[in-house]
Amino acid sequence: MADKPMAIAKTQLFTENQVLRQVLGICSSLAVTNSMNNSLVMGLGLSFVTALSSLTLSAMRNIIPHRVRMLVQTLVIAVYVIFVDLFLKAYLPEISKQLGPYVGLIITNCIIMGRAEAYAQKNPPIPAMFDGLFAGLGYTGVLLIVALIREVLGFGTIFGIHVNLIGFQTWTIMIMPPAAFFIIGSLIWVLSARAQKKAAGGAK
Amino acid sequence: MKKGHIYTLVFMVVLSAVLVFALAAAYEAFKPSIAANERLKEERAVLYAFDLDNGLADADVHDTFARLIKEGEQKGQQVYVYEDAGEVKGYAFPFEGAALWGGLSGYLGVNADLSQTTGLVFTKQNETPGLGGRIDEDWYKAQFRNLPLAEGTTLRYGQQADYQLDAISGATQTSAAVLRTVNQLLHDVILAGEVK
Repeated sequence: MADKPMAIAKTQLFTENQVLRQVLGICSSLAVTNSMNNSLVMGLGLSFVTALSSLTLSAMRNIIPHRVRMLVQTLVIAVYVIFVDLFLKAYLPEISKQLGPYVGLIITNCIIMGRAEAYAQKNPPIPAMFDGLFAGLGYTGVLLIVALIREVLGFGTIFGIHVNLIGFQTWTIMIMPPAAFFIIGSLIWVLSARAQKKAAGGAK
Repeated sequence: MKKGHIYTLVFMVVLSAVLVFALAAAYEAFKPSIAANERLKEERAVLYAFDLDNGLADADVHDTFARLIKEGEQKGQQVYVYEDAGEVKGYAFPFEGAALWGGLSGYLGVNADLSQTTGLVFTKQNETPGLGGRIDEDWYKAQFRNLPLAEGTTLRYGQQADYQLDAISGATQTSAAVLRTVNQLLHDVILAGEVK
């Protein structure tokens, strides 16, 4: 069952994207996507945690007592998240301040435990790491797409750089969490429609 | 593979010990950097409250701070005192309050005779990024410069006789909490009669 990194990448980035197909990690997708900067850091932080926690948990999968596996998963994930939090505080204090509680909340991001349960506990460490990494990058990709739409329409900027050249009125709703509902909802619709079309085409 | 209670217990204890040790090591390694960032943030915040931080580079913040700001006491509170050429120009009073999601703390700068504010700054807040978190944006904080103070002054949002304050749309609770905290500081400390 040792999957190739490329196959894992395709699954996690597109066909089984954690946010759009599994609808996991929605909380932070709604919260931090009004700025590209925050989304990028949040996504990279999450990718780091998912990759390393999957690697660690997979390496330990044969010695973890089955009954307490969720305890162990949470413990390992928490350690990596605190590490990310410390790192941001030490080297990116501004972003750490803006992301505030959401870095700590990576611990409860369902994507990480989802990958630990669904993949890392049954697969060898290296594929597990790639699985976690690409699941995280899939999440990052969606966050950046949503943030691009929200930041341009809400603030008239991209990565904080002014791009509102024609001077349109910025939309306050785009800055607020409900905007992400509409955008993520539309993305889910597009992807599901494509998946259904494909399934129908295959059946003919 | 069936594992007994003892194995489970030992496994958890050993794993916890290893992870805690790793985290403690990481924390020690990052500590100097984090402490330096916190000090810089604090110094920049105090300068901002006195309207002295006009886009200073990180390296200049500490020099300016050391040159102009001293620690002192006013109205029975530990405050930062802004002194230029031996003359007191203002005081930065620390405040702490409760906002929507968590604690809110920062400084309110006032001039030497306590007749005007010089600025408001937050050093800690946990408000929703993009909503309540916008109290950290310049346009919001800048509204708190040069507001007239007199005995019994209570700041309010909206167009007032001699100033205007705007709340943040979509962040009513946080906006209200900021004013509540600032007014409490004004009444209990800055504009209160002499401390007995």
